Amino acid sequence: MTFKYFLIAVLTGFIFYLLLLPRVGYLRKGVIFAFVMTMLVFAIQPDWSNSVAKAVGISRGADLLFYLSHLTLFFIAFIYFVKFKEMEVRFTKLVRQLALENARREAKH
Amino acid sequence: MQSEAFRKALAETFVVVPAYNEGRVIRDVITGLSSEFPNIVVVNDGSSDDTAALLADLPVIVVRHPINLGQGAALQTGITFALERGANYIVTFDADGQHRVEDALSALRMLIEEQCDVVCGSRFLGTTNNVPRIRKIILKTVVGLANLTTGTHMTDAHNGLRALSRKAASCLDITQSGMAHASEIMSQLKLHKMSIREVPVQVNYTEYSLAKGQSSLNSINILVDLVIGRFLK
Repeated sequence: MTFKYFLIAVLTGFIFYLLLLPRVGYLRKGVIFAFVMTMLVFAIQPDWSNSVAKAVGISRGADLLFYLSHLTLFFIAFIYFVKFKEMEVRFTKLVRQLALENARREAKH
Repeated sequence: MQSEAFRKALAETFVVVPAYNEGRVIRDVITGLSSEFPNIVVVNDGSSDDTAALLADLPVIVVRHPINLGQGAALQTGITFALERGANYIVTFDADGQHRVEDALSALRMLIEEQCDVVCGSRFLGTTNNVPRIRKIILKTVVGLANLTTGTHMTDAHNGLRALSRKAASCLDITQSGMAHASEIMSQLKLHKMSIREVPVQVNYTEYSLAKGQSSLNSINILVDLVIGRFLK
């Protein structure tokens, strides 16, 4: 039971943190909020996860949470990978600009 | 024997050589190129060896990336610089000694004589086929993927030897810093409806150039880069 209270405390804390986060769009906040709230409800009422799991053709609630966690983590990793690639493109342009300016300056002398 | 027109074209040609830690071969490569091409731009892509020092007394323009970005990024830097300097033709040439100067001349000659926009070197055309078997399998896989994603029908899409007209070079905006840049180049050329030809070339497979070349896993990396690249467009 101790872990259950720990989980509830962490998820509740995260919800407050999320609500106070500046510069995060309402849509993104809403999606994360819904996900964390679902986790919170399942932490308080674990049996409900079994009912939901059975409704979607999965035998146990734990399995449903396992699959959902995997999907969520994959989604997050993908989003950050794309963001990283975007940053890489910007960074390359910056370095190129610097290299070209130096080369132009050297060519003048 | 070079015609007057071809000599004039040579004067308007810039060879772009992306180089990263090529200290072992860079002098030989540049010396060979400079015997035929008057304008050579070496993009030193953040080399940590003595590449920069070895280039110091050679008749080349060196553009320095302060850090290593990858061959695609170095190519784009060199092409942008060459266009700024008024290049009418651009030849891209690898720095690891795998290309032959006579093949670069053949590619340029074909570009001018056939009045096309791009000529790509192909090691799988004609009888000039000295590719090691494992490398051939890797390259064929990469070419297959490249043709699939770019809609082209090349026999060797990942050959670093190319000749481009100013029009073709101007439409390039290479964002793939790594090895997927070769497929990206073909994709952009196709998008801009550039006429593309292939010329048979020979590749000098030395222990050094093989070690610097693409690994087996790179075909997977290239595919991932291309797919992610589509998302970023």
